[in-house]
Amino acid sequence: MRIARACDALGITPVFAVSEADRDAPYTRGREVVVLGPARASSSYLDVRRVVQAAVQSRCSALHPGWGFLSENPLLASLCAAHGVTFIGPPPHVMALMGGKTPAKRAMRGAGFAVIPGSDGPVASAADARASAEQVGYPVLLKAESGGGGRGMRVARGPDELEAAFTDAQGEARGAFGDDRVFLERLIEGGRHVEIQVFADRYGNAIHVGERDCTVQRNHQKLIEESPSPVLSDELRARTLATAVAATRAIGYVGAGTMEMLLEPGGGTLRFMEMNTRLQVEHTVSEQRSGLDLMILQIRVAAGQRLPLTQDAVALTGHVIECRINAEDPAAGFRPAPGQITGWQLPDRQDGAIRVDTHVEAGYRVPPYYDSLLCKVIARGDDRADAIARMLRALSELRCEGVPTTIPLHQRILASSAFRTHAYDTRTNPLELT
Amino acid sequence: MSFVPVTPIGAPLAPAADDHRPALAVLEDRLRARRAEVEAGWGPSYVDRVHKKGKLTARERLRKLIDPGTEPRELGTFVNYGEVFPGDQRSPAAGVVTALALVEGRWCMVIANDNTVASGAWWPRTPEKIQRAQQIALRLRLPTIYLVDCSGLFLPEQSKSFPGGRGAGHIFKMNSLLSANGVPQLAGVFGDCIAGGGYMPIISDRVYMTEQAYMVIAGAALIKGAKSQKMTSLGIGGPEVHVHQSGCADVRVPDDDTLLACLRREVTRLPTSGASYYRGGVGDLAPAHRADELGALLPVDHREVYDAHQVIARLVDQSLFWEVLPEVGEEMICGVGRIGGLYAGLVINRQGLVGDPERPGSQRPAGILYRQGIAKISAFSRACNDDGLPLIWLHDISGFDIGAEAEAHGLLAYGSSLIYTNSTNSVPMFSVLLRKASGAGYYAMAGMPFDPVVQLSTCLSRLSVMEGRTLAIATYNTKLDDDFQIAVSDPAERAKIEAGMREVEARIEQDMDPFVAARQQDTDEIVELAALRDWLRDLVEMAYQGTGYRRVKNPRIWSMHDLAELARGSRR
Repeated sequence: MRIARACDALGITPVFAVSEADRDAPYTRGREVVVLGPARASSSYLDVRRVVQAAVQSRCSALHPGWGFLSENPLLASLCAAHGVTFIGPPPHVMALMGGKTPAKRAMRGAGFAVIPGSDGPVASAADARASAEQVGYPVLLKAESGGGGRGMRVARGPDELEAAFTDAQGEARGAFGDDRVFLERLIEGGRHVEIQVFADRYGNAIHVGERDCTVQRNHQKLIEESPSPVLSDELRARTLATAVAATRAIGYVGAGTMEMLLEPGGGTLRFMEMNTRLQVEHTVSEQRSGLDLMILQIRVAAGQRLPLTQDAVALTGHVIECRINAEDPAAGFRPAPGQITGWQLPDRQDGAIRVDTHVEAGYRVPPYYDSLLCKVIARGDDRADAIARMLRALSELRCEGVPTTIPLHQRILASSAFRTHAYDTRTNPLELT
Repeated sequence: MSFVPVTPIGAPLAPAADDHRPALAVLEDRLRARRAEVEAGWGPSYVDRVHKKGKLTARERLRKLIDPGTEPRELGTFVNYGEVFPGDQRSPAAGVVTALALVEGRWCMVIANDNTVASGAWWPRTPEKIQRAQQIALRLRLPTIYLVDCSGLFLPEQSKSFPGGRGAGHIFKMNSLLSANGVPQLAGVFGDCIAGGGYMPIISDRVYMTEQAYMVIAGAALIKGAKSQKMTSLGIGGPEVHVHQSGCADVRVPDDDTLLACLRREVTRLPTSGASYYRGGVGDLAPAHRADELGALLPVDHREVYDAHQVIARLVDQSLFWEVLPEVGEEMICGVGRIGGLYAGLVINRQGLVGDPERPGSQRPAGILYRQGIAKISAFSRACNDDGLPLIWLHDISGFDIGAEAEAHGLLAYGSSLIYTNSTNSVPMFSVLLRKASGAGYYAMAGMPFDPVVQLSTCLSRLSVMEGRTLAIATYNTKLDDDFQIAVSDPAERAKIEAGMREVEARIEQDMDPFVAARQQDTDEIVELAALRDWLRDLVEMAYQGTGYRRVKNPRIWSMHDLAELARGSRR
């Protein structure tokens, strides 16, 4: 829907590629639709051949991969290029470079970023892992080279745990990803998650759209994102943003991307973790702070246009906070809570200070066992306190009946003293400290 | 259609499938051990001797010359391997290191006399090995760098390395041809450079000498009265003479390290590689199915079959491949993919059974050349040549079909057409002996006699005219019945025939060893299967390095499209 809105604004006709299950979904009303295949994702949304064939047959000149799994698949990008379809995203070899854990680290270290100390590439044996661990210092984390989602990961707090951690990580990586290569890095516990929104065109022009602080998480799921980060010094912020732009240019990046960084406990250094080669859910925070429409920009750049503005013209003002509202039951350990929404009322826009992105309306049925995101509420204020106040007002006005939501959780976090004094990290959300 | 219609091929290794890597590891461990043995030259005492003179060994020089973090692609490692010369002497790597290597981002051919083996003397096959390296450089227009430290011909065996068409002097003819074809040549002289060794550097565009180096037609030892006049070779042919009086060298430098740094600086002045231009903004992308799984796919026993598509899936970028003419001659697979971001043509023969167009509904064994398959790879080979697509031949082939039907179909003529095509192609071709390369199949797939730029073997390669069992049958044919069973009743004679057949089989088996081929220069190098994709990536990159000497077409004007279109048309 977000992509289709941008297409509408640009006078482009979007074609929705959907599975048989989604052919009658409300968002396809009045839209051109092409059916990829049966409901099972592996025969529809995840089958690169069908996706490209659908684009070719419906005579699309470009393909937007969305934010799902295929959005970071270099094979899809190559296959699009081979069949004359413009892939809206970076070139496949850049995507592959950033998709590889250790190649990405190496490239970013070359571009001037601090990275998490660790082995240079995968470790071949437990003995190699031991040697590497001695160098970087315990505790260490063993991670699958082609891993993700926390699988193929093991912690060793001391030399006695190393061998088992190596063997377990390797075994799990082999089973889960068919690739038993693991690498080692120092385990940094806690810290803050800061990410940088970058953007580049095909002609070597690159900008940043500021940073986002996504430290408030629950089970590695982001709850609240804000910009600017309340804990970065001006000097560290300026230096990191400049490095991010230089790195974007150095790797030949095109389009929207996010560099995820870890601010060590104590706040000394921002270290590069990984790069997401797509537009993320929380890009709206950067849009509200800069006034830019990143989706439109993404399509323009893919069409070969130059970035319409230089860094000087990117005005980052005020403070923006985003809350992700999910249909979850706090009483049941935040399990997704499907059901029908009987009442749905959006908050007052407060003269444009509040933005709500949603696909929900009254009568909407939250599908079971699926992403339970109902909406994103984004509040903009003159400063952090102002943004918090506006968000609290909006949350009190947002009405959702029929399913339990995370609205009360957000209200408690925003009102907590820990949130206001920044005394939390990625492991411990502000409520646990209050 | 001017797109290259690649599609994803291959599948993950089935969890239940046999993994042939353990069996292969035994063979590849031996390969690595033998390589280490060759690299040790004549051993540590000779290395020490070189170091005591303040010099580096040939392999140390090579390492310092090439770009840090890159691996040289050594060729001819096993030339003379196992050969024993008079005086119980051996010549590891034939006393010369030849390697394709990156210097300042350009692929170069490096030819370095091994000063840890008889002071870099030329043994039998050393001249041929150097000439082979020069030939490869000439074919791909690769800058050629000589690291000279050579005491001259190994004289006790001079009759084997001096007079023939490939005798030592032919090296200088190759020097001349390289120069005449505009291939840059650089020489660094690090020590002895006597007689033939003296001519090798002179044709180079730039000649550097260290203070320990001399170049002479004959050394002081052969000059009458040299002893009483206290003449030394350094005195009569050192840098003082050649840089300042004769002009036979350009620059004198204090030591090995400085000379190597100077050579690197010379290379920076050459044009950069065209490869990045020909990639057209596309990068080097690993196969979607990992290249190091190749060893898991290929059974060590050459009679066992596998899926040839799975092999290609582990060689081409992202496992994306355009199979050309899949509808005819299915015993052969040919098509186009990118390797390291650059387009290349690949030909491989299938294993197992395929449909028999002569008898619809029935099957016949693949791994054999029939009329349709030969016609298909001939046409594909011509199209690659026409389009400038480097062509990779992957052999695992038993030979041509035989029998009355094959002759009536005129396989001799179809085969000759293919041979004519491959013989007159100018596009770089590379030959890989995956497993079997038997009989005329080896010739049909552009084996060494058809001048591939480089031919690689694996530890599984079996190179022969015919398998030992077949030859044993042919030899004892008069004593065998229709089913090739021994048709003799006398037990004594029967035992004699059995023993004879076993002996023939055993001898052929031994000669099919890839190390025999490598020793005789019938193949350029033996490589690990897991490294094959990287080798091919580098070779293809070399084929696109030079610009202006060979045809490279963009895909819009490929004749390959015409071929595919015509085949489709015939189906309608």
